[in-house]
Amino acid sequence: MGITNFDISIYTDVVRWIFVFLAMYILISNLQSLLTTRVTPEVWAYLNIDEKYSIPITHWENVIGRSSSVDLRIKNKTVSKNHGILMRNSNGTWNYEDLDSTNGTLINYKAVNYRETVTCEIGDKIQIGGVSCTLFPISLEEKKNNESLREKDKSPISPWRILLAISLFQMLTVVQLVISLGDGYTSMISLSMLGLMVLMWTYVLGFRMMGSRGFELELIAFFLSTISLAIVASSSPDLIFKQFIAIFIGLVVLIIMCLYLRSLKRSKITRWLLVLGSVGILIINLIFGTLKYGAVNWLELGGVSFQPSELVKVAFVWIGAATLDELYKKRNLNLYMIFSGFCLICLAIMGDFGTASIYFVAYLIISFLRSGDFSKFTLTFGGAVLLAVMVVRFKPYIANRFSAWRHVWEYSDSLGYQQTRTMSATANGGLAGLGAGNGMLKNVAAADTDLVFGMVAEEWGMIIAILLVICIITFLLFSTMSIVTGRSTFYTIVACGATSILVFQTMLNVFGALDLLPLTGVTFPFVSNGGTSMVTSWAMLAFIKATDMRKNSSLAIKNKLVNVGYSQEEDYNA
Amino acid sequence: MLKVERRSLICVLLAMVLFFGLMYYVLKLSLNGEEWATFEGNMLVYTNGQINRGSVYDRNDVLLLDCNEEGITFNENAKIRQALVHTSGDIYGNVSTGILSSNKGALIGYDFINGVYTRDNEGEDIKLTLDANACKVAYEALGYHNGTVGVFNYETGEVLCIVNKPAFDPIYLNNVEGAYFNTFLQGTVVPGSTFKVVTTIAAIENIENIEEFNYNCDGNSDINCSYNHGNVDFYLAFAKSCNGAYGEITNELGASMMTDYVKKLGLTNSYNIEGINTKEGEFLFSENENALAWAGIGQNMDRVNPCSMMILMGAIANKGEAVNPFFIYNSEKIFNSQNQSLGQMLNKDTAKEVEAMLKNNVVVTYGESNFDELDIYAKSGTAEVDNQNLSNGLFTGYIKNEGYPYAFFVFVENGGSGSSSAGSVAKKVLNELIN
Repeated sequence: MGITNFDISIYTDVVRWIFVFLAMYILISNLQSLLTTRVTPEVWAYLNIDEKYSIPITHWENVIGRSSSVDLRIKNKTVSKNHGILMRNSNGTWNYEDLDSTNGTLINYKAVNYRETVTCEIGDKIQIGGVSCTLFPISLEEKKNNESLREKDKSPISPWRILLAISLFQMLTVVQLVISLGDGYTSMISLSMLGLMVLMWTYVLGFRMMGSRGFELELIAFFLSTISLAIVASSSPDLIFKQFIAIFIGLVVLIIMCLYLRSLKRSKITRWLLVLGSVGILIINLIFGTLKYGAVNWLELGGVSFQPSELVKVAFVWIGAATLDELYKKRNLNLYMIFSGFCLICLAIMGDFGTASIYFVAYLIISFLRSGDFSKFTLTFGGAVLLAVMVVRFKPYIANRFSAWRHVWEYSDSLGYQQTRTMSATANGGLAGLGAGNGMLKNVAAADTDLVFGMVAEEWGMIIAILLVICIITFLLFSTMSIVTGRSTFYTIVACGATSILVFQTMLNVFGALDLLPLTGVTFPFVSNGGTSMVTSWAMLAFIKATDMRKNSSLAIKNKLVNVGYSQEEDYNA
Repeated sequence: MLKVERRSLICVLLAMVLFFGLMYYVLKLSLNGEEWATFEGNMLVYTNGQINRGSVYDRNDVLLLDCNEEGITFNENAKIRQALVHTSGDIYGNVSTGILSSNKGALIGYDFINGVYTRDNEGEDIKLTLDANACKVAYEALGYHNGTVGVFNYETGEVLCIVNKPAFDPIYLNNVEGAYFNTFLQGTVVPGSTFKVVTTIAAIENIENIEEFNYNCDGNSDINCSYNHGNVDFYLAFAKSCNGAYGEITNELGASMMTDYVKKLGLTNSYNIEGINTKEGEFLFSENENALAWAGIGQNMDRVNPCSMMILMGAIANKGEAVNPFFIYNSEKIFNSQNQSLGQMLNKDTAKEVEAMLKNNVVVTYGESNFDELDIYAKSGTAEVDNQNLSNGLFTGYIKNEGYPYAFFVFVENGGSGSSSAGSVAKKVLNELIN
């Protein structure tokens, strides 16, 4: 190759630490921007109580009541703990619904019946128990004030330096791969990495021109995808272009979903379509599925094979989401329970226990977010654990799969083969890694999917490996932090559900490979080799973007700079 | 909305499980990383089941072994290979004290920060404190006897020689029984009269007017001597190794005092030498009459580890301060016990007194002329062992030649008299080290 060994080793010597610092810069500045955001809630109207004082209404969906956990709290004994729901319509009117309160509600002196939705306007009198309230508008001046306050909110970090850092990271990676792979290097590697770079710049430049400002989530995803390409280049260079195409499709899916999620009404209706689609595709999978790695969860369509259960994961979150009024309707949750049960049975038949447990945890979390019923939560969880124990007890062949768990070193050449090599690989890498392409784990089966954490730790070092996990955790923290300013519980649930899935999936992947949990063979979001997993990860990102209420930051929320007085709502119920 | 916000704590909980689980793994990695990196399934550092990186040199840069992709090669000289097999180890890891099994992590260059990353995958060059030629001389000096020889610098702790026999040549399959065993670090021997050093130290510190001690040896007491030593004082009793006299001294000191001293002088301790724990000695005696006296002269059920005895001798030479031996020079990637003082093992005045007595032994009994230019201080021992025609010879002590502060321990199985068999081995090794 014309380069002496000495030169090569100098390059890796230096660059492996540069990678660590670049990664720290890229990720920490993004994470910091996401986690230190302060958002001034938008005030939509005021609820005047007894003509004495007014409570600002900052959500589109509010519970009125006496308890400390409601959005509009009236401390009066005649008011029930959860008295009623006040939800905003697109035309500026409000819908009121009584929650079977003890003393009832009167709107403009007319009683509101149970399960009846009454539309009221600004200025209307709402008698809540013994308290008389009035809906007050906000003045134009206040609106402007609000706007200027929001202008002062900490704006998202500027993407340009981070983009440059990621691009540098990508270029250095390509050189490192040229050195380490030697004859194994293919031009597809440079092409894919270049493709990703172009994709990234085009996306950010394009949407920046249209006025978007917040790109942290996407930049993190682009960084994770860069690591993914490097991992695939090292372990299965033939598949790298496929992986790039998956990133491309993922990005397109993200954009489409963000635009689609702008309308709450549309998003709500779509759930029924998604239920039908999910049931259909799972049944097709059961009938025509092909067996891969011990589970029948692959489907081949026109030469492309994919995992339907991965795609249904996205629908699963979407279907589980609900607006505030739906949270108070039991039937709604029961339907979701039935749908979840169906999905779990399908996955059990396929033998895909890893994905089944992801669905189950997603169900638990989403249903808890919806009902807040902790006893039911623990009961379901306990029941599932009991069921799992019984299955393992009475089906010895399943127990056999887990027999090496926590004892992998005793089975280092049989059932613990992959885990012991993974742990050994994490030791090999140290903090800064051996350099992309220099690891040994890539020779072990499923290294770039189930064991990908080990591969990252070996070739990129423990610091970067931990940072990747922290990114996934940040997605979740950002989603929970955004609830305060959320428009609708629909988006909140969707974001928390999606990020919980990402976190739990990461947990199964990382802990499974490191023998803290049984190895179940699920992927690390954005990083593992695999098209379906990559596309799903980007789709999940759209759910997080849908809760990002920072000014002009999210593609999933219609930009409203032009229209000061009339914010955000045009598409809300479109 | 507020309700959902509160409920979302459950998601945060999930994230915390992931984070703390990962931190737990990092902790495990920091504790077990070396073991995991040296695991045979690690294709990076093993080729065909053999470590493929790292090399070991002696103090004079004599190559002892070199690991690479083609396999492990050892020193060209068969005697050096055999003399150092217990330190360098064998391909199959049967010698547990060998670098190839006990210090694999250092050999491949593992550490927590860099993992096994070394430029060009070369591993580490481990430099030992041992002198390969001195080891070879010791090995040859043992002749057809089994035994063990150890020499170290009692000021710095550098070990210059560790040799054990039986040994074997690591380039061939071993068929000698017991050849994997490193007696010097992992074994114990019956100390015989060398143990009288312990009794002597206890007596100096605890018996008033010990200098006025007097004993008439008729060779026929219950604790019998092989000769009739006649009238002996404390110095002469030590030099002549009079069992009768030492039996009496031991009884005067009493069982608990003796036990305390054996412990204080480190003979029932385990030392950590480059991650290898030495075997603890034993000081046991039955309730029978005279059992304590027999124990006090190093016979009966007494067992000492050769290395611990060498450390004690080093402490006497070093004005009472004991130093932990080490045999790998510090490289960046190796943590070791270099220059680790073990503290004051006995007080300075006692050390001075014992030193005078050890010198007296050489002058009166062993003969200074037998040791050429060596400024030697020593105690011999002869241990009778059941079912053996000849007794085992022992010789331990130190030299104070300028620039060569070395303490030693020599054990020769079936060697007969300690000063002649083990003493001559000691002389040859020390002469080799000095010249």
